[in-house]
Order: sequence, then structure tokens, then C-alpha cells
Amino acid sequence: MAEIVLGIGGIGATNTMGSSLKTYALGSCIAVVILDPQTRTVGMVHVALPDSSIKPEKVATLPGYFVDTGIPALFEQMRRCGTKGPKGLIVKLAGGAQIMDQNNTFNIGKRNALAAKKILWGFGLAPVAEDLGDNFSRTVTLAADSGIMTLSSPGRPNWHI
Amino acid sequence: MACFQFCYAAATASTIYPRCPDMEKKTLDKEVLAAVQRIPLLSLAAARILELTARADHTLTDVMDVARNDAALTARLLKIVNSPVYGLLEPATSLERAISYLGENLVVSLVLEDTIGSYMNKPLQGYGSASGDLWKHDLRTAIAAKEVALLNRDRCPPDVAFTGGLLHDIGKSILSEFLKERYQEILAELARKEVKDYVGGERELIGIDHARVGYELARNWGLPEVMQMVIRYHHEPSLAPEDLKTVVYAVHLGDIIAMMGGYGTGTDNLFYRLDQRYTDYLVVGPDQMGMLMLSVEEKFNETVETMQMH
Ligand SMILES: [Fe+2]
Ligand SMILES: [Fe+2]
Repeated sequence: MAEIVLGIGGIGATNTMGSSLKTYALGSCIAVVILDPQTRTVGMVHVALPDSSIKPEKVATLPGYFVDTGIPALFEQMRRCGTKGPKGLIVKLAGGAQIMDQNNTFNIGKRNALAAKKILWGFGLAPVAEDLGDNFSRTVTLAADSGIMTLSSPGRPNWHI
Repeated sequence: MACFQFCYAAATASTIYPRCPDMEKKTLDKEVLAAVQRIPLLSLAAARILELTARADHTLTDVMDVARNDAALTARLLKIVNSPVYGLLEPATSLERAISYLGENLVVSLVLEDTIGSYMNKPLQGYGSASGDLWKHDLRTAIAAKEVALLNRDRCPPDVAFTGGLLHDIGKSILSEFLKERYQEILAELARKEVKDYVGGERELIGIDHARVGYELARNWGLPEVMQMVIRYHHEPSLAPEDLKTVVYAVHLGDIIAMMGGYGTGTDNLFYRLDQRYTDYLVVGPDQMGMLMLSVEEKFNETVETMQMH
């Protein structure tokens, strides 16, 4: 029962029965989750910022930190597990929380989500499920064989999307 | 109706509740304050270092002078600086060398971890958080507050903002004991929009919030005025004394950056309000936020590695 934990900017993909991918406490970060029903591969990237142009030299060491480089890098990892895609892949998004603020001044969460949708659109994909925004952080677990995506947050019962 | 009147009669002016919640909360604030009184004083070295670092004009030499008189602290600093993380070719044997390698912020962090780490590192049942979560949140806030201050160097001393960030949520470790599983009630009140943020929920439930509890503790410990004010007003910076507002706003923003980065303390999540008026005191454009979060993340990882935290 291997549990692969992804830190901020972490990318993971697996098709090993019984293993899972997990990322803790997404604040304004988001988890992009991809399921490949063909090869039963699951993948996840924990992205922090929408655009790598803010610090291009970081891409070489941690492409998963940014939406624009993280999603293509995730596809790459999944290909190594046998995924042919992007066609036929299932995408889900979670995270993008924000502080309480009517003016949404520091809208990094929202910008991450928008950037992710835009990049995915470029691959001809759109999320089938999303759990975005609000004022609470999320921990995401993704089970390899079932593809079940479980979310948790302090003080709340777990839920799925 | 009868219940309402009964509660009303028992309540003090500051804790009147229109919906007649249970009787407990009316008196809890006094119990919390009594618990604050039972917390032991800080060690002499810790008190002196905090005192020093609260002054905008202090130097690293001042910090060395204090550390030199504390054998345990000296040993700890030498051990850290000679750990493989630093990869020194020759071991540092003098305190001077150790401190100049480590820098003031790390020295202050280690001093605080040694003296009040037992409060900062324990799991907080009242916030549903694991051991170490509060300390990581504090450290992350400190680093972020300093980064914000560095963007506003002319009016905000970065090292004061750092130390303020380390201390800002100290009240949670005490309030946690009184909240226990009752955080569910705060979450329910937030969902029903009966309170405007998490500190409002704490006041509603207990009669006092973690910022005020921390302030009372800071006063007991005789912490410098600026630290007391940072702790007291980090969620309501506009109420801080005018001459300390920039530092308080820096910690206010640092706290938010920590929470956005996924380093909150548990059930309170991101249920706090950004005070828009920060723009009167600090320049942090929305477009600078991404870069700030990135550098906070990198500096935090370095610090955690150096301090050998997990
Ligand atoms: Fe706080
Ligand atoms: Fe905080």
C-alpha cells in the first residue's frame, strides 16, 4: 500500500494496485488530478502559481510548481505509465482557497484555477468535477485502482468529487 | 424566553448573547485569563533576546552578548551550525562565528523553540491540528512578514516583523484547551454567517479570542510593547497604535500568506479577513503576491532544513 506524498510542486503518477497519491493542505494552490480509464493510471500535480514566467529558472528543478509547466509535466509522467491521452482522460480540480475578502485582492487561488482550465483546454480537456475556492484548505487523496478522489479539511467530514 | 432572560441576567456587558447559548461561555473568558496567569515566565535569555530584537536599531553583536551568557543556547547554536546542512569545511567553535553564519532570525527562532516550543509544538485539540502545525505556521508567518517588510524597508524593520510573526498566534495554545471539540460550533456559526470570521467565533463561544489571550500572555511575560500589539491586533491591524501599524500590518499580511500557502493551524483554515487598509501603510501589489509566496516557500524550506524540523 504505497502512499506517494506530493509536496508543493510535486508531480506523481501510478498504476500500481493499492497505491495512492496524496497531497496535504492546498491553500491557494490547486491539485490537478488526471485519471486514465484505459490504463488505470492516476496522476496528480500540486501547483502553486499560474505562470512560470515569474521565475523561469525554477522550472528546471520543479516544473510542478506552476500551472503552465506542471500540467504538461504531469502528462509526461503519465505517459511513462502507459497513458496515450490527452484524449479520453478525466480531469478533476481541487483547491484554490482564499482569505475572506470581498475585493478578492490576492486572488491567486482563482488565477490558478483559471490558468489550469486554460491549459487543459489547450489539450482538449475540461474538468468533469471541481471543488474550488471558499475559505478552507483541502487535503486530497487519490486511489490508484479505483480512481476515487477523497478530500478532507480540518473540522469537516471527508468528501469525494 | 425564560431561558433568554436567565442568560441575560448572568451575562456581563461584554458577553451578552441574543440566542441564549449554554451558560458556560459567559464565564470562560475569566478561566482563560486565569490559565494565562499559570504559564511560567520566559527564560532570561529569551526575554532579553526578544527585548533586543524588538528594537529597530539592534545589531547582531547585541544578540551575541545575550547568547554568550546562556551555555545551553551556545551549545545548541554550535551544534546546528556544525550540522551537515551548513557543510562548513572547518567546524565553527566560537559563538560569534556560529551566530554570524546562522543570522539573527534563526537564532531567535531557536531561542523561542527552546523556551516556548512546548506550547508551539503541541497538537492543538481546539483547532484540530497536529503536533508542530502551529510552530510551522508561526515560522511561515515570520518569514512572510519579513518579506513584506523588506518590500517596505524605509518604514518597517524586517527583523521586528519576523519576531512578531513567530509570536503572533501564541494565544492559540492556551485557547485550544478551552475550545476542545467545540470548534464545530464555530464552523457552524461561520456557515450560517452569524460571525464574521474565526476570531469572531472564538469570542462568541468563549468570550475571548486567541489574539487577546496571546496579548495577555505577552503582557505577563513582559514582552516589548510592539510584540504585545502585533499579537493583539494581527487580525484587526487598524486598531493598533498608529506608530506600530506598519509592523502589525506586515504580520497581518504574513499570516495571510502563510495560510494561503497551506500553512494554517487547522479548523480555523482561512476564515480570517484581509484588512484592505494595509495599502495605507505597506506597498504590496496583488501582482507582487506570487513572487512573495514563492520566496516565502523557498526560505521556509531552507529554515526547516536548518532547524531540523519535520
Ligand atoms: Fe491569529
Ligand atoms: Fe496566524
